[in-house]
Amino acid sequence: MNEQAPAITARGLTKKFGDFTAVNQVDFDVHRGEIFGFLGPNGSGKTTTIRMTLGLLQPTEGSVSVLGMSVHKETEKIRPRVGYMSQRFSLYNDLTVLQNLNFYGAAYGLKNSLLEERIQDALVMAGLEGREQTKTKDLSGGWRQRLALSAAILHRPDVLFLDEPTAGVDPISRRAFWDLLYILVAEKITVFVTTHYMDEAEHCHRLAFIQRGKIIAYGSPAEIKRDMMKGQVLEIAPSDAARTVKILRDTHQTGKLPLEEVELYGSLVHVVSPDVEKTKAGITAALSEEKITIDQMEIIEPSLEDVFIACMRE
Amino acid sequence: MSPIYLYTIFTCLPKSITMLRRIIAIAQKEFIHLRNDWWMPAFMLFGGVLELLLVGWATSRPITNLPIMVWDQDQSAASREIVTTLINTDTFVIEDYVSDMDTIEDALDRGDINVAVIIPPDYSEKIADPSGQPTLPIILNGAESIPALAALRAIEGVTRDLGERITLQRLGMSPDEFESFIPSLRVWFNEALNEALYTTPAELGLMLEFTVLLFASLSLSREKELGTLEQLLVMPFSSLEIIIGKAIPVIIIGFVDFVLMLSMVNIAFDVPIRGSLLLLLILAFGYLLVELGKGMVISVISRTQHQAFLLVMLVGMVDFMFTGYAAPVEGMPKAAQFFANIVPAHHWLEIVRGILLKGAGLDVLWPHVLALAILGTIIGTFSLRYVRRALD
Repeated sequence: MNEQAPAITARGLTKKFGDFTAVNQVDFDVHRGEIFGFLGPNGSGKTTTIRMTLGLLQPTEGSVSVLGMSVHKETEKIRPRVGYMSQRFSLYNDLTVLQNLNFYGAAYGLKNSLLEERIQDALVMAGLEGREQTKTKDLSGGWRQRLALSAAILHRPDVLFLDEPTAGVDPISRRAFWDLLYILVAEKITVFVTTHYMDEAEHCHRLAFIQRGKIIAYGSPAEIKRDMMKGQVLEIAPSDAARTVKILRDTHQTGKLPLEEVELYGSLVHVVSPDVEKTKAGITAALSEEKITIDQMEIIEPSLEDVFIACMRE
Repeated sequence: MSPIYLYTIFTCLPKSITMLRRIIAIAQKEFIHLRNDWWMPAFMLFGGVLELLLVGWATSRPITNLPIMVWDQDQSAASREIVTTLINTDTFVIEDYVSDMDTIEDALDRGDINVAVIIPPDYSEKIADPSGQPTLPIILNGAESIPALAALRAIEGVTRDLGERITLQRLGMSPDEFESFIPSLRVWFNEALNEALYTTPAELGLMLEFTVLLFASLSLSREKELGTLEQLLVMPFSSLEIIIGKAIPVIIIGFVDFVLMLSMVNIAFDVPIRGSLLLLLILAFGYLLVELGKGMVISVISRTQHQAFLLVMLVGMVDFMFTGYAAPVEGMPKAAQFFANIVPAHHWLEIVRGILLKGAGLDVLWPHVLALAILGTIIGTFSLRYVRRALD
């Protein structure tokens, strides 16, 4: 066992279901102690990848290792050192909070005072002190999710796998959940998390964006923004955002302005262009022709959402 | 009767106490599910007992009081006598006297009567005439074959006596001078040919199969349906630990169910235990493991509990047909007879009946015990391999 080995290494990981290739030649490394985000739309191959990484599914080609051990050959050595949580299915609904935690404890061989101590920690972390006897099905989504996370780390795993942990949970609970993940990382736990929420991607140390089974962006959020973005993002607050989008797309098509992307963000418009300073004047001119006033126009740091939309267009 | 289970448990236990602890953890969790889902164990424990109670109660008495319709066109002493004799067998009760065929046909169509007796106008005349050939048309409702057979037996008895009497009369002999052919029939094992003694031991055996099969089939399909199986597989449980942990409640409840059912038929329906009770319990335990293996395979094939349930119904129905309970195996076509011999339930029912009614021991039952052991080993090994492969 190599303590310096990366938390997860995937090389050429491929899964075919008949003619359909769900995951296609995927490579990635997850370093120790980071939150690694695995992003992608529904059906992009996220869950298939996490299932192969957990040893629940046999890859068609390629290999994946966790903590330097082959998932396929050394499953039994890996299992005690990883934790797994999926938002919906981790807990037994008809068991009470305490019964669920006890089951996790017994599964990972915790006993006596250590078990009691860990269960106490878990209850504090989930904010469920005094509700030990509540049936899990009677907890609301956010509580259940925090309980599932506390249960998944009861045995203090080295690597924690989270499959869509925040699906269907309200934004405040999601925020609280991510705060908990930062605490875990501070305790040297590596977190591998799949999600389709773009805003959560910004919270990850590094991430991979998967689409149709292939990784199309990989690295830290800053790296991805730098490498994947062709130009800068200009945020415009016009008097009529919808018409602005239409006008600017027309100018792009006629070749008047070199605009890569024109996207509507509520009452704002994001424009991607290789040379923003030059286009600024052109945009102002094109819009004033159509009697649209510009309240504000500035160059902004692109969000990951900008980047991914750009990536997916290609 | 599945040494592979016992072998694996026996060789793996000393390996580590942690394995035992993990098995207990799963078994404990299963028992919590059962406590929360109370109707399930209640059904498992008392469903069989209730079923047996109904079967035993309905079949414990001979068939009596079959409704009969009479169209007496003769209205003579002789015609009244034959009707009275039929009624005196206790098998029949008069539904009505009628005077046309339409009413009889209608009543048969509706299923209101099982038997119709039509006495011809010249019935008494032909009996009195030394060379007369009296006939007695009787219609049986064959749609209900079991009452029809009971009716047929009663009618044949009555008409044979009558035929004998007419013959004697015409020969001018008195009954004392005549001794006809009397077969010396003796019924063993069920002296009174009590239907309940036949049905309840068979049902007892079948209910054990059904209970274990259903219970085992839900064990994994339930977690699959809920989505929790993945979590279980990611935990450090080996497939064997999961299988054993899940099997323990099935074994305990199945066995308790069998003991409850056995006590019930013994007390309520006087079903004797003429052979060794210990042997019966040991074989019941072995048979339970065979069905457990089948149930686990069904459980791992099915994606939902619903699917598992339907598969159990299918397997149970096929088994039932080949146990020899519904129709004797000896009367089946050769291919079906062969198939019956590879159905564990068939051998199990022979064993139950043999021990309970015949007081048979291993010296007599060994072919069935051996067959069960061989089938059990094959099914057990296959199930264990198959379920482990599916879980790994």
